Amino acid sequence: MEPEETRVDRLAGHMVRTATQSGIELKPGYGPDDASHISYRKDLGDPGEYPFTRGIYPEMYRNRLWLKSFIVSYATAEETNQAFREYIANGMTDLRLLCDLPTQSGIDPDHPSAWNSMMCGGVATYALPVYEEMLAGLPLGEAVFELAHAGMSSFLYFYGLLVAMMENRGMDIRKLRGNSINDPIRTKLVYGCPDFPTHTDRRICLDHIEFSVRNTPSWRPIAPNGVDPCQGGMDAIRELGGCLAVATAVMEDLRDRGIGIDEYGPMVFSLDAESDFFETIAKFRLARKMWARIAKERLGATTDRAMQLKIGIRTSGLSLTHQKPLNNAARVTLQILSCVLGGVNSLDASSIDEAVGLPSQEARIFNLDAQHIITHEANVPLVADPLGGSYYLEWLTGKMEREVNSYLEEIEAQGGIFACLESGWLGVVMESCRARVQYEKAEGDRLIVGVNAFRCEEDEEGPINEAIRDTAYRAPTVAMREERVREVKEFKAGRDVRRLQPLTTDLLRTTREGGNVQRAVIEAAKAGLTLGECVGVIRLGYGIDYDPFKQIDMPDFVRGIVEG
Amino acid sequence: MQQERKIRVLIAKVGCDIHERGALTLSRALRDAGMEVIYTGRYQTPQGVASAAVSEDVDMIALSDHTGSLPIIAGQVIDELKALDATNVPITAGGLLTPDDVKALEDMGVSGNYGPGTPVEVIVAHINGLVKP
Repeated sequence: MEPEETRVDRLAGHMVRTATQSGIELKPGYGPDDASHISYRKDLGDPGEYPFTRGIYPEMYRNRLWLKSFIVSYATAEETNQAFREYIANGMTDLRLLCDLPTQSGIDPDHPSAWNSMMCGGVATYALPVYEEMLAGLPLGEAVFELAHAGMSSFLYFYGLLVAMMENRGMDIRKLRGNSINDPIRTKLVYGCPDFPTHTDRRICLDHIEFSVRNTPSWRPIAPNGVDPCQGGMDAIRELGGCLAVATAVMEDLRDRGIGIDEYGPMVFSLDAESDFFETIAKFRLARKMWARIAKERLGATTDRAMQLKIGIRTSGLSLTHQKPLNNAARVTLQILSCVLGGVNSLDASSIDEAVGLPSQEARIFNLDAQHIITHEANVPLVADPLGGSYYLEWLTGKMEREVNSYLEEIEAQGGIFACLESGWLGVVMESCRARVQYEKAEGDRLIVGVNAFRCEEDEEGPINEAIRDTAYRAPTVAMREERVREVKEFKAGRDVRRLQPLTTDLLRTTREGGNVQRAVIEAAKAGLTLGECVGVIRLGYGIDYDPFKQIDMPDFVRGIVEG
Repeated sequence: MQQERKIRVLIAKVGCDIHERGALTLSRALRDAGMEVIYTGRYQTPQGVASAAVSEDVDMIALSDHTGSLPIIAGQVIDELKALDATNVPITAGGLLTPDDVKALEDMGVSGNYGPGTPVEVIVAHINGLVKP
């Protein structure tokens, strides 16, 4: 059967949709009757007041602008370090750390499955010295770090490296600031990360949180992530519902370890800024409101602090197009604006060249400048929640709240978010959302400029678009990859095994005994245990294969421990 | 009327690239267009992809990758196909591609080479054109 011909009129001069991106049907106009159900005190509150719909601070951005961040993650530690310094000089205040894809999957660069994506998406940060080099000269204890990795092993290990670096320098680790995504649902639902099975992920997640609450109070050790499920297909309703469900489940698990929500403090969500402008703004306001309610009514929070939700943003990479990449500047700018109007706390905007390759430096500076223009020229952040009270926005926020609640009821009815992951139901939901979007695009019910409407051929594009295409960051060459493999092998061979072995033994024993492994990971990492070995040893502690890919054997010093 | 054999396509991801949406979207689109699709899932090896292509008797391999490594991956898959005497299986690629990558891929005989957001109809038409006699 031939695919149905798209009925998109490339010269469409009229609206083709009457619904938001997630399918909420809209009227042409809204008035007082649409917002009459709203109680100002109960549903909105002043900025800085429960339920924090209008923002978590009374004066919002007057006192504190949102943190400006990027995932800065180039192929080598030197480049990444250089870029951090450059961006900080241009006003970035929040360092979002990542590593290459094999490392996020739980393996070292000398693993055979690492080759094809090695140094892609970031540095192969397999051990402490690489981290030292990547973060050289950056102010530990002052800067805000965010760990944005995919695999659950990454949070445990890289938070461990940050702590190890501070301790090695004699610094007080209580000063460590930032957050980890550490979301055990997203890691499997979106990425299918091979490092650990879900039940292990769930325990690792709690180990990291428990250690952090007791030792690094300015670190937020979980930030349930809606960005990646959203990029995987979830709409705004299911994105927010998922985050609320994860946060609730993990806080309930944590209570079983003796840490209540008041002790835990404010929650952070990592949300997506999508192209639908008002729906995105409504989502941020609603996220704060719904979390405040859950924290208070279900989890028993008694302090304002414990009811507050901070929102960290990654703008939608998926919304960016390879076709006419200059158009991405308009998309990103609108997404940034929706974040500011929605009162978010940190913002990592995608770059205009991101559909072509890793972002170039210049595209990143554009992102920062766009935020400076919104702040200092457009004066948007002068007033807290400037759209609060809009008939349309308040109606939309209420409508979305009902939809999110019914999604949460569905999850509850099936035994909670972990049961929904394990049964495959969440995957089916994501797949059907994705299919709907694909169908709408094919049918011309969802127009993407330059893609299924207002197209032009690549060779009709002008020099600006061409230049954007040409400046995107290039993936590392074969020679660079070979060099990295040599380096990791040398590093492993050069370690003091007499120091490493007892600390690795301790990690294995702690895992087997069901203890919290975070401190053992930190100490072993100080002695040179790599990320891949850390994953392998924890896996052995759970009685599963050392290698998640079942391709390599455990190293001799680990075999010595297991057999000894 | 004799039932025509459906076009069989292997959609493959090699290495640790976690970006799966392109592969999943294409899987559905090709099925909707009446093709049979075998998707390898993530975290595959080049050997695994080549042997799946042979054992599943596919007409076409579609490589998906968003790390910028498509030329490296395609080169390895082609080597593995040679080792299995299966060089007649055409390959197409999609994901993050620079103009240099596209040129490198074309030099290896990999056609198509689509960036993100390419309408699926374009890819369907390309596969139909390549595979149908």
